[in-house]
Amino acid sequence: MAKNEVAVVGVGLSKHVSKRRDVNIAELVWEAVSACYEDAGLKPKDVDAFATGNMPAFEGVNLPEEWGAGHWGAYNKPLLRITTGGTTGGSVAHGGYYLVGSGLFDTVMCIAFEKQSDGNSTMGLNTVALADAAAQLQLGVDPGFIASFGGGAVGVAVYQASSYMKSSGCTTHHLDKVSALCRNNAALNPYSHLKQPGLTPEEVAKTTLLQYPIRFGHVCPATDGACAMLFTTGEKARKLTDKPAYVLSCASASDEAALVGISGSGTTNVDPCEQESCKIAAARAYEIAGIKDPRNEIDLAEPYSPFAHQLLMFYERLLLCDEGEAPSILDSGSMNLDGELPVCPSGGVISTNAIGASAMERVAECALQIMGKCGERQVKKDVHKAVAHGWGGAVNLNVVAVLSDTPRR
Amino acid sequence: MEYKNETIAIEGSWNLASWEWKFESIALIRKTFEAMKNERKLMANKCPGCGRVYFLPKPYCLCLSIPDEWVEIKDTATVTTYTFTGAWAYEGIADDEVSGTPQIFAGVVFDGSDTKTVTMLEGIEPEKVHVGMRVKLKWPEEVAGGLTDLAHCVPLEE
Amino acid sequence: MDKEVAIIAYAQLPYEADNNMSREVMVLKATRAAIEAAGLKREDLDTVITANNDYNDGRTISNMRLVEPAGSWHKNESKVEMDGTFGVLYALTRILSGDHDIALVVGESQASVYGGILPGIMMLDPTFDRQRWLLNEVSAAALQASAYMAAAGVSAEQIAAVAAKNLDNAALNPFALRSLKGADAKKVLASRPLYSPITELMTAPRCDGACAVVMASAKAAAKVEKPVWIKGVGFSHDSYVTERSLDSMGSLKLAADACYRQAGIEDPASQIDLAEVHECFAHEELMAYEALGFCEPLQGGVFFDSGATRLDGKLPVNASGGALGANAEYATGLARIIEAAMQIRGDAGRHQVKGVKTAVAHGQTGICAQENIVYVLGGE
Ligand SMILES: [Zn+2]
Repeated sequence: MAKNEVAVVGVGLSKHVSKRRDVNIAELVWEAVSACYEDAGLKPKDVDAFATGNMPAFEGVNLPEEWGAGHWGAYNKPLLRITTGGTTGGSVAHGGYYLVGSGLFDTVMCIAFEKQSDGNSTMGLNTVALADAAAQLQLGVDPGFIASFGGGAVGVAVYQASSYMKSSGCTTHHLDKVSALCRNNAALNPYSHLKQPGLTPEEVAKTTLLQYPIRFGHVCPATDGACAMLFTTGEKARKLTDKPAYVLSCASASDEAALVGISGSGTTNVDPCEQESCKIAAARAYEIAGIKDPRNEIDLAEPYSPFAHQLLMFYERLLLCDEGEAPSILDSGSMNLDGELPVCPSGGVISTNAIGASAMERVAECALQIMGKCGERQVKKDVHKAVAHGWGGAVNLNVVAVLSDTPRR
Repeated sequence: MEYKNETIAIEGSWNLASWEWKFESIALIRKTFEAMKNERKLMANKCPGCGRVYFLPKPYCLCLSIPDEWVEIKDTATVTTYTFTGAWAYEGIADDEVSGTPQIFAGVVFDGSDTKTVTMLEGIEPEKVHVGMRVKLKWPEEVAGGLTDLAHCVPLEE
Repeated sequence: MDKEVAIIAYAQLPYEADNNMSREVMVLKATRAAIEAAGLKREDLDTVITANNDYNDGRTISNMRLVEPAGSWHKNESKVEMDGTFGVLYALTRILSGDHDIALVVGESQASVYGGILPGIMMLDPTFDRQRWLLNEVSAAALQASAYMAAAGVSAEQIAAVAAKNLDNAALNPFALRSLKGADAKKVLASRPLYSPITELMTAPRCDGACAVVMASAKAAAKVEKPVWIKGVGFSHDSYVTERSLDSMGSLKLAADACYRQAGIEDPASQIDLAEVHECFAHEELMAYEALGFCEPLQGGVFFDSGATRLDGKLPVNASGGALGANAEYATGLARIIEAAMQIRGDAGRHQVKGVKTAVAHGQTGICAQENIVYVLGGE
């Protein structure tokens, strides 16, 4: 019932690699933004408002758009900065949906980015929990002791993975298969970071074990990259392109932080694989989109999965199958590019993770697949409806967007 | 004019050492630690609004009330999530990766509380750990009154 | 926009140098007070927007620890890393889109946690300005003040008199951190010099504080007593501090023009009854008079001297004392919306101005007011 129909008319991505030492933050973002203007056939003067975000601890710059947005065309334009950690890109895309959907603005440029190589990623991540660690120090707790409980290098994901495997029957072989599927898809995506054509599950199984059940091959890389998307009204979109991707709905839901509560207090989010907030967000998004049977109506999914198990877990939490069914669906080949419900055709977050941009790249891939602009990685089936997901915080925020080739009725 | 193909890097960081956070939880958790040391009891705080019981105690609740009632909870618990370090014998793992004794970490919910505490499991093989299994806090011989007292749980024989 | 979205309740905590509570408990208190004032329960909220800054909070993803205290557990939550006035904009679009009916917006920060000027320094161009340690929020504002004074022929005494007006008004505001009853320009000029021409009493004092507003769609506001309607909104991003002329507030002018168009305001000076301005420094209030169209360009000082913006004037500005009375960053602008709404409802207590029907509220983010947002609010 948005006042305006909302559609995506342009997508732009920068080159994604681990270290972009040839550009600064503003220049990296401009790569994506200029590509997006070009894709949509629009100019900065055509844009009515901007939405932007990143995870600012990674670069060590507070409100980086204050310094950079003038270079992206935002000078003397309304600009809204939305930041929600790992979900930032998704949240910025949601911002675009609401800014256009409200009827206040017609055309909105959404920009999300991360230049992790400018800062110190470990430092960036530590700042998430440093305040709580400081409290625990006050209680006389050795920080090394706390860190050992945190799940080492891969943090809360290891708890989540083993809980998920126990509840679903997912095996480590399934994790290997997920990695192989995604990295092979990534090899077909010019904007992905880790391209491993022909990678087999057996090869993934031979990578170093970080902590049970997660191996090096099951984990995303750290990436420099930016993503930009142009949202506009349905009416304008139909004038600009024959095949816009409509955004039918956006919804999010937050949970209590999963691993430890504030400064060591208990948390009621007792099982990090439950992801109740993802189910809530997905159900809300489908309801607004008028989707009654997501399993049959959704043609493609881009779950946010920096860790292999999350592709399967979020496939379930996005209500695309019963809980515990995803591993066998993976085995059936349905998630492949030529399958019945392709998953992460972009290669997913496990292949490319420019933190702040990642959740927007999920929305972007859904839009590109609907618009038929995916080249070699274009899925075989016609994509009418697709679901894009973002996940972040301390396992506590899920954002879901539903896109379609036809407007909402 | 030619440009170098690399930008110049300048050091800069977010010096968090100058931030001074404030916490109510420290005083609450200290109170629990004291009860552990002096009375060998696990004390949690209960929300008057919704009845949720927080262990370790928490200064505020999901329902926007302040948990202000102290209640004793049991030292038996249920595992809700777990992981283990190092390599372990699960399908597909090479022998040369197995080294040392794996440590099993588990999120457990103590009986009488609604929240998770992270602890280490002892006296069980990693492959036998499962979500839903029952465990019991292994009290140290001498209770120090700190988080280390909660560091170990053992399987509960029922 | 006519009677589409209303502010139905709000709450402020007293602003203090150190309010001796965690950020989370502070937010919980503001949230609970706002929800109670609306006569609602947490369950009634559809969406929650927090407005805060990771660098101020000293926490990456600082909204993550506010899930419980801001009442957003299992709710459609997001964070705007700008002043709370921009959080209200986001909530407004969420309601206008038709997807949500009731929204809560919370703005907060604690200066006692982040200390002084570091978050502001981190906003500077990292490749050049940050390396030189010359610019910070105060020194940049001093450049802005000098540029404006030269352009508009305003004196340091006039700027000091603005500060004196606001500090005197703040004495009537029970939430204010700082006030000075009977203050005059002389006292302000005699306070600690910072960067010339700015003295300590011309700056908005950073402090601890949080405030919250509850917003509702027309449908959800139907049964509410004294709803305050959002009649117009406009906002704009200016270029980086060293890349623009500092002698006027260009983006505030654009924001005001867009806002007035929406609200059907043609002559702000006569149609607006009261304004709450987010002046991080006293001179910004004079610049805002011009940008908001209360007077002609470069006439800010003359307009102020006319007495129009005093508590008993024809267009009182910052009856609450404004940001000079208390500046809990990211909540300061949101407090301007709350103060304007209080005036419209007639709930402003000792600093109530008679007959306020239409009011302007302004918020800003960034060095030298780089981002500005303007609202026109009105009663029934
Ligand atoms: Zn409760």
